[in-house]
Amino acid sequence: MGNYIKDRKPDTDEWMPFSGLEDSDTLPAGDIYVPLEEWLKNREALLTRNSRLGVLLNNTDDPAALVPDLDRLDLVVLEFPKMADGRAFSQARLLRERYGFTGDIRATGDVLHDQLFYMQRCGINAFELGEGEDLTSSLKAFDEMTITYQPAADEEFPIWRRDGK
Amino acid sequence: MYQYSEQDHQLLLERVEQFRGQVQRRLKGQLSEDEFKHQRLRNGLYLQLHAYMLRVAIPYGLLSAEQMRTLAHIARKYDKGYGHFSTRQNIQYNWPKLEDVPNILDDLAAVEMHAIQTSGNCIRNTTSDPLAGVARDEVEDPRPYCELIRQWSTFHPEFNFLPRKFKIAVTGAVGDRAAVAVHDIGLKLIQGPDGENGFEVYVGGGLGRTPMIGKLIRKYLPKEDMLTYLEAILRVYNQLGRRDNLYKARIKILVHETGEEKFRKLIEAEWQQIKATGLYLREQDIERIKGFFKDPDYQELPDTDADFENLLLSDPEFGRWADKNIDQHKQSGYRIVYLSLKSVNQPPGDVTADQMDAIADLADKYSLGQIRTTHRQNLVLSDVQLKDLVPLWQELKALDLATPNYNHLTDIISCPGLDFCALATARSIPISQAITERFDNYDFINDLGDLSINISGCINACGHHHVANIGILGVNKKGEEVYQLTLGGSAREDASIGKIIGPAFGADQIVDAIGDVLGVYLENREDPEETFLTAYRRLGQAPFKEKLYG
Amino acid sequence: MALQVYTASLLKEGLVAYLCLEDGASSWTSDIRGATAGDGDLLETLKIAAEKAERDNLIIAPYVVDVLEAENGWKATTKREQIRADGPTIALPRDASAASTTDEGRKAA
Repeated sequence: MGNYIKDRKPDTDEWMPFSGLEDSDTLPAGDIYVPLEEWLKNREALLTRNSRLGVLLNNTDDPAALVPDLDRLDLVVLEFPKMADGRAFSQARLLRERYGFTGDIRATGDVLHDQLFYMQRCGINAFELGEGEDLTSSLKAFDEMTITYQPAADEEFPIWRRDGK
Repeated sequence: MYQYSEQDHQLLLERVEQFRGQVQRRLKGQLSEDEFKHQRLRNGLYLQLHAYMLRVAIPYGLLSAEQMRTLAHIARKYDKGYGHFSTRQNIQYNWPKLEDVPNILDDLAAVEMHAIQTSGNCIRNTTSDPLAGVARDEVEDPRPYCELIRQWSTFHPEFNFLPRKFKIAVTGAVGDRAAVAVHDIGLKLIQGPDGENGFEVYVGGGLGRTPMIGKLIRKYLPKEDMLTYLEAILRVYNQLGRRDNLYKARIKILVHETGEEKFRKLIEAEWQQIKATGLYLREQDIERIKGFFKDPDYQELPDTDADFENLLLSDPEFGRWADKNIDQHKQSGYRIVYLSLKSVNQPPGDVTADQMDAIADLADKYSLGQIRTTHRQNLVLSDVQLKDLVPLWQELKALDLATPNYNHLTDIISCPGLDFCALATARSIPISQAITERFDNYDFINDLGDLSINISGCINACGHHHVANIGILGVNKKGEEVYQLTLGGSAREDASIGKIIGPAFGADQIVDAIGDVLGVYLENREDPEETFLTAYRRLGQAPFKEKLYG
Repeated sequence: MALQVYTASLLKEGLVAYLCLEDGASSWTSDIRGATAGDGDLLETLKIAAEKAERDNLIIAPYVVDVLEAENGWKATTKREQIRADGPTIALPRDASAASTTDEGRKAA
């Protein structure tokens, strides 16, 4: 597991990902997250677990599929298969702004220093940094830019409507 | 024009510092080229055939005299003494050193300019009508909307890693001088059924290897809904646009493959969800930005001037320039003046540092201190009083900026081509120069009337050859540069994609071939009023083919 | 098979450069005519030197170019590489203060 940041601080990742081999009754104890497909298939069994639960969305999954379950989930994991693939930015905003998800949204994959600013604006608050990324310099990325123009998960209004304007 | 707020300034300074850090890390070897490439490309810095190239944004083509002087200063201090105005109203420098770029960006920031989002798969600089605010055929000034789009799109957190680059153009006039039909999104201000102004929304236009005219996705969008609707389009594109094939990643392919009707429904469905969010533009939001683009204090002047009219009669050279490079202004006693960057002596769109400084001075002296860039790679002084036309012309002539050819044969759009571009497969500029030299004859150009020739040096079509009346596409065929001709394109309100007429011509044949095409038009036109495009649309390819290939 | 030279762009300046190997020491020149051309083992040696220069952050993206022997040294075989070696085939715009004439140096298409 690479470097992990949560809520702008270094953190320990306590979540176990579904490895793809387990049946629902052989899953390890503790907090786990599973792919959407697995979630939809074994939802009832998973909900009986005495642990926190998360779901991993592929870039092509519609976050709307999770809406009925969002209040029972503590984590949604979004994938950045490569830096140039920005589909998860939209998924994150939909989860936060449209569906009101308040648990953790985690970015995994090619998660690089220079994307962190955009990711946090879209509502992602946990980051599995990509290979070779430096934790210390990555922590600074959140504050390199302080001006934002448009509404996103962190701002309801565009710059021209803030401060009661 | 728009004046930066403290926050706008702050954003530029932070961005320059961020980039300076990235450059330092790269020069020290702490960043690999692969990592750095993404970062420099987010700041308009390419590596071209001979050197780095820096593309500087000119928001909707509007420059102050002070900004133009800074562009001259950069050309002189950090480059080879010139700059190149592009078809997206930006300026490009062909020879900056990497270590100088942060300093260049500092100099730009001091005059409210930058290179943000001039490359990369993000929303690029919004382009517009170079006659915005002064055109007689204008429904409403598009610039306040361009500025709102600029702010909304700058560092948009959701849309910075799109499937592909994304270009938006806005016009507020009946005549289309911003080529809105060949942009990813084209917005056209119209008067709606309720008497209020709003937008026609075109989506999925573009050139490149699959040229397409944008589809009218919404016939009327209230202007208050502009940004929420754009956000809906971008969100659908970000999620559904193809990422498996670079050449199928533009939104035009998504629109095409999804089908116009279904695509429209997807947009409408997404828009319904967000139309009432904070991005909805209240009247005061629009009015505040409009305040930056108010009409200047025009003087009440008669629409006549004795010196001007006398010289028109007595000096044929002045008459030729006035006929071609002056346009009507909405205000009596004022004219719009085109500065031709298509002299026989310089590559299309190129301007030297001394010329830039002189243009800035002329803008201050004669045109309220502003300059506009056009997508056909010329410049405009938009507010010149009739009485100033004669002295302005004399100064422009001395600067080699008074070639009387606006929207005529030798007003050629040309991409940099293989002389500069790492992607090009053939040269463009030498062909444009050869055409200009061959037909450097006012009477001939004048007789041909309204006509466009555009040249691209590869299939990516930066020279917009598809939408020229006569388009030239340079390709590499077994190591030789050869040139395909397309006829019948238009980038205006009657936009169309030109058709390839037949096999390509060698570099030594292409100018003759153009001559033949022009000859067929002159022989077959119904009268001198019938333009090349109208005649071609009436005649079809046959007579041109016959002449070219026998 | 044609001989080949190694070319790249200098990291700091972005300018075109060609690899020279002399007495085991490598350097980069802007002049293709003075580059070291080779095949087989020599080309392998050039490759190692080029890759080292890339790791040392001197140059970017090295690759090989086919060359032929011309009057004054090596000459690239493709139009693209000839233009890359010799610069634009058109006269760059220059101010009167910076150049004598604008026509000078313009070459035919």
